[in-house]
Amino acid sequence: MKEMEQKLQNEAKALLEQGKVDYIIGFEPGSLKFTTTPLITRDKNDVGRMVIDSFIVNNLADFLTELKGRVGIVAKGCDSRSIVSLIQDNKIARENVVILGVPCAGIIDLGKVEKLIGKDRDELDDIGREGDKVVITADGKTSEFLITEVLFDNCLGCELPTPQEYDILLGEPTLPVVDKTVSQKKIEQLKEMAPEQRWDFWKSEFSRCIRCYACRNVCPACFCERCFVEETEPQWLMPLPRWQDNLMFQVIRNIHVAGRCTDCGECERACPVNIPLRSLTKEMYDIVGELFHFKTGMDIDTLPLMTHYEQEEAEDFIR
Amino acid sequence: MRQEPEWEPKLLGFLCKWCSYAGADLAGTSRKKYPASIRAIKVPCSGRVDPLFILKALRLGFDGVLVSGCHPGDCHYQTGNYRARRRMAITKKFLEYMGVEPQRIQASWVSASEGGKFAEVITEVTKGLKEVGPNRLFADERDGTEATERG
Repeated sequence: MKEMEQKLQNEAKALLEQGKVDYIIGFEPGSLKFTTTPLITRDKNDVGRMVIDSFIVNNLADFLTELKGRVGIVAKGCDSRSIVSLIQDNKIARENVVILGVPCAGIIDLGKVEKLIGKDRDELDDIGREGDKVVITADGKTSEFLITEVLFDNCLGCELPTPQEYDILLGEPTLPVVDKTVSQKKIEQLKEMAPEQRWDFWKSEFSRCIRCYACRNVCPACFCERCFVEETEPQWLMPLPRWQDNLMFQVIRNIHVAGRCTDCGECERACPVNIPLRSLTKEMYDIVGELFHFKTGMDIDTLPLMTHYEQEEAEDFIR
Repeated sequence: MRQEPEWEPKLLGFLCKWCSYAGADLAGTSRKKYPASIRAIKVPCSGRVDPLFILKALRLGFDGVLVSGCHPGDCHYQTGNYRARRRMAITKKFLEYMGVEPQRIQASWVSASEGGKFAEVITEVTKGLKEVGPNRLFADERDGTEATERG
């Protein structure tokens, strides 16, 4: 990771110095332990703060649609696919992005770590990685766990940790660390329920939703300048955060990002009331995979999913 | 005592102007019998139907939604029904995953010459809706919300 970090800082500095990019988007250490925060800069003196570690959670592709000019961006496997998806949708031009690809070894879920150790993140001294193990130090004691125990659910379902599209690859391609059972656990549990139970489950989940739109704002695939929820003529949704409208918002959001979602898991992490949003987005990801053999962001020349069609495809449901 | 009439489902139909709406007309002029459950909305093309319309219809308390357009290859605008097909496929699958009964989301291809088929489709869809019963998806006893939006 340290070599990658060094290489990133050199490359980012060179890009800014040579005027190849106007901005660099990356990560810098966050204000809390084991966190990172996005860094957007035009200043080559800032690049020394950039980091690559096991906590670079955010999907930075979200910022691309907001910046004008040429941008150098740090991207993990899933992020690079989000960038490709934006290129497919003509939201950004390929020549305006320099993708600094990070072969990703999976991102550590601090929530899972806290549960395993039984301590708050502030009380931990160190979280280190050694091969397929994670070594956690707290109160002078070290404990080892399998890496699959601490990675985010979506990382455990990731098949493409190395960026598909990049200009500079910062390290050797990595192999996925997959544990499909853990990754799909919540979805499988839901599928075992009766339809009414499932609906009741979502009803109670969305009763907590405060419609802060964090899920929408953090999502690189949610790039509409004017979202349908803000329409008033006609008003599709009531502005009060009642569960009925919250649920409707989320269903439509999922339909809008179908074929654009890369299962990066940002919506679920952004949710302040912990609604398991990934259980929706991942299912949609699998639906488009199953019905149309479509995988988001594999190739910049592919058309966006909903703008094209095959003459012969899924229609057994049509009378 | 007054006899309660049998419950009739309310079905919202989005019918394409070129095929299915004409098919519905033909069903009428040929005096085909079918249940009076459908409220038809004429759309220029089945490709006009946004999944948002379907959700909104359920939210407003319709028991089912039918999207009907031209057969594949017959679209007046060449590709509208193919796009509608993709959209309907994911909408239906996704809503079923969330817990909506599959009978509530329906699609059909009915051409302008298929008055008989139109009557059949409506009969079958209505039968399916009677099996699943009234739409209580968005009803909420706690805050007294009826199945419809404004209570």
